[in-house]
Amino acid sequence: MDGKELLLRLKTLSQIEDPKKDIHGLTYAQFPGTHCPLMGAAMAVRGIRGAVMMIVGTDECAYYTKHMTIHSEDWGGLMGRCVSVTIDQHDITFGCAKKVEEAFAELMDEQKPEAVFIVTTCVPEIIGDDFDAVAEAMWEKYGVPAMAVHTEHFKCENHMPGVERTITACFRLMEMQERSGGVNVIGQRMGRFEDTELSRVLKNAGVSILAQLPSGCSVEEIRRAPAAQVNIVVNDIGLPLARKMKQRFGTPYVFFDKFTDPAHIAAAYENLFSFLNLPLPDELPELRRAAEEAARQARDTLHGVTFMYGNTPFRCLECCAYMTSLGMVPQLIQSHGIVEEDAEDVQRILVSSDPYMTQAANISPLQYIYDELHPMLYLGHEYPMRLRKKGIAQVHTDMGGGMLGYEVTPYLLKQLLASLEESREIRKGGMNG
Amino acid sequence: MSLTRFLPQPSDRMGMLWSLLNIEDSVIVEYGPAGTTHYSMGLFGELGIEQENRLFTTHLREEDVVMGDTSRLEKALAEVDDNFHPSVIFVVASSCSEVIGTDLRGVCTMVQPRVKARLIPLTAGGFRGDYAFGIRDTYRLLAEEMVHETKEKQKDTFNILGASVGAYRCKADVLEIVRLMDEAFGLTLHTALCLETDLEKIADMGSASVNLVIRQEALPAARTLEGKCAAPYVYGAPYGYQGTLDWLESVGQKIGREVNPSLKGELKKRAMEATQYRMYGRMLRRDQPKAYLYGEYEAVKGLGAFLGGMGISPEWQICAHSLAPLESAEDAVNYMPHEKERMDLLSQLHRTLLLADDTSRRLVDADNTFIRIATPLIDSAQVAVHMPLMGNRGADMIMETVEAYFNTLR
Repeated sequence: MDGKELLLRLKTLSQIEDPKKDIHGLTYAQFPGTHCPLMGAAMAVRGIRGAVMMIVGTDECAYYTKHMTIHSEDWGGLMGRCVSVTIDQHDITFGCAKKVEEAFAELMDEQKPEAVFIVTTCVPEIIGDDFDAVAEAMWEKYGVPAMAVHTEHFKCENHMPGVERTITACFRLMEMQERSGGVNVIGQRMGRFEDTELSRVLKNAGVSILAQLPSGCSVEEIRRAPAAQVNIVVNDIGLPLARKMKQRFGTPYVFFDKFTDPAHIAAAYENLFSFLNLPLPDELPELRRAAEEAARQARDTLHGVTFMYGNTPFRCLECCAYMTSLGMVPQLIQSHGIVEEDAEDVQRILVSSDPYMTQAANISPLQYIYDELHPMLYLGHEYPMRLRKKGIAQVHTDMGGGMLGYEVTPYLLKQLLASLEESREIRKGGMNG
Repeated sequence: MSLTRFLPQPSDRMGMLWSLLNIEDSVIVEYGPAGTTHYSMGLFGELGIEQENRLFTTHLREEDVVMGDTSRLEKALAEVDDNFHPSVIFVVASSCSEVIGTDLRGVCTMVQPRVKARLIPLTAGGFRGDYAFGIRDTYRLLAEEMVHETKEKQKDTFNILGASVGAYRCKADVLEIVRLMDEAFGLTLHTALCLETDLEKIADMGSASVNLVIRQEALPAARTLEGKCAAPYVYGAPYGYQGTLDWLESVGQKIGREVNPSLKGELKKRAMEATQYRMYGRMLRRDQPKAYLYGEYEAVKGLGAFLGGMGISPEWQICAHSLAPLESAEDAVNYMPHEKERMDLLSQLHRTLLLADDTSRRLVDADNTFIRIATPLIDSAQVAVHMPLMGNRGADMIMETVEAYFNTLR
């Protein structure tokens, strides 16, 4: 494979007009490929205690999903909350709605769940059974909330729509409530919200946390979620639900992603406390000062450091823009798309660089790109030994998945500095370089 | 009986994939949604199969599904051919491409003149049955398409037909057969279909002296090789001491050799010792020794016979996969497609020797005695390659639990 040719296929950030069309994959043959929305739905249902996920799909889809959940305490292991209705040739010809109804009856008989997410996959969506109607009928018949979640992968690029659609489906569980003054957290996928700085700050300010979707809540907490004064949306996947709640229950929302730039974090805190009608907590200026001081100390060292960006817990373009503002040089960014909220960050990146843009989750051909771009750092998941052989250090950021607030900035900087040191060692011939 | 609570049966497509991924120098291109390929990494990793630069997906978009546009696949095939230079590209369907009716054969025919690799379409997308169908079709396809015709034989070599990495202890069983064949006849392994092999070895399979067919799904392939390469075959698998000796003698008969007397003597002695357990059974007042077996057809049949020889009645012999792809199945071995039936049966077992998978183990009371002989693996990993189920070593391992089982009976 020729890295130069691969790069010729790609557009740079400044050339992207329609992200869906202009952000190309490096190759048509991908490995491992993106995760599917079925997995995203599983990630979401895992966090909803008392809810069952009923997969409607092929043996293969059901097998891999169950396989993923078997060792999870949250799921209840082998006997747990992930079940399936597998479809065969007969179901493709004659439909599988009846089979799902039979399975639902068995489930009601055995498990008595508080809610059921009927998650459809590619094939049932192609054959066109009406699972919204099936879910509605099951809800009416058994008095147990049942929601259809559609996770056909051929209509989307990765697993995130599966998470988004599952938590959006929870809207149907919600009932009008008296305002209680607390907040809901929507869109936290990784880590425990309780462990974040944002959670601590809210608790210190006397703000109670109500529902956390999908990171850990009960069906009852979802039902009472409209009691919240504000919804905190910590990832784009929470936006559709937050918008619905705003429209139906009048609940305002604040977008508070895993921002890395202290200025963005400060704006999010100000916005949040303004909706809560509370003064900004005294601890915040000191937290901001510490984050900015960490950046000041790292800036000179990081200046001119080149990197490629893969899959991290952070907001892709916001993180790249922040690193660019520290003098770092993005050479290639793997991204699934650019949304309206990214506009400012795109401009910040373009001030000093114009990186190549490509779709994520196709690591095989990247090794040929390394030979052309020679980045010092790679942020995201890759085979570390392969990177080392190319003189590149991997920046591990997974722990950032459990962070929100000013704590993100020093963590990211610490990881960057550690990896930069490793990169220099590798280039000197040490550390398996 | 429509609800699946545990792991469903792996599909024909999954069996096909885990077989093909054991063939070096070839690449698999899947025409389907990328998520399935990514998702499969967990299972294939657990089965010890390398996937990088061996398995690719094209992904499918809505326009491909609605309009039937296959240009994505055509470009992917050209790209893999150009970048990795494999001798063969297996072009594998997905459930989506099968349902929308993609003509994979047609695409391969059209693209073939433009690529150096040989394109072989596999059109099963997961709806033709369970993994047993998939592995049967894969063995047959490889025998028909990949093996060169030859009548010349390499002396003292054998092939194994029917190795399937989805089966528990597959690699250890292959190594046990290799050991037994060496010790009994001085024969060495040429190729195991499909375990850690390559296209060159498969092409030359016809030159082995004899084919050992260890599961029925490989019989069609064996007959193809018999016709193409005049390769004799023996069907059967060596379970238990007497079963291993019988199997070796049937191989010896086919190749015109006697089993090494020392090995024969040792197996006879061990078989005789094992029959002593019949006496223990007769001394019991409260219990009758009985066994529940669940696993691959030949394991259930062979180990059932082994236990029966020790006075442990193999009352329930349940095949983990459909019996339909088999050419003949003993009446004693059943297939229970519905999970609920197995659950109900398992819940009634007491003081039974259970040779089964981890799911079964979770469903029985603690007064039963368990030995794992089947996948899926839930409570354990599979690391050792010196602990087979087959051969006298496999029998030794099972005897240890049989001893413990008798201690639970009164």
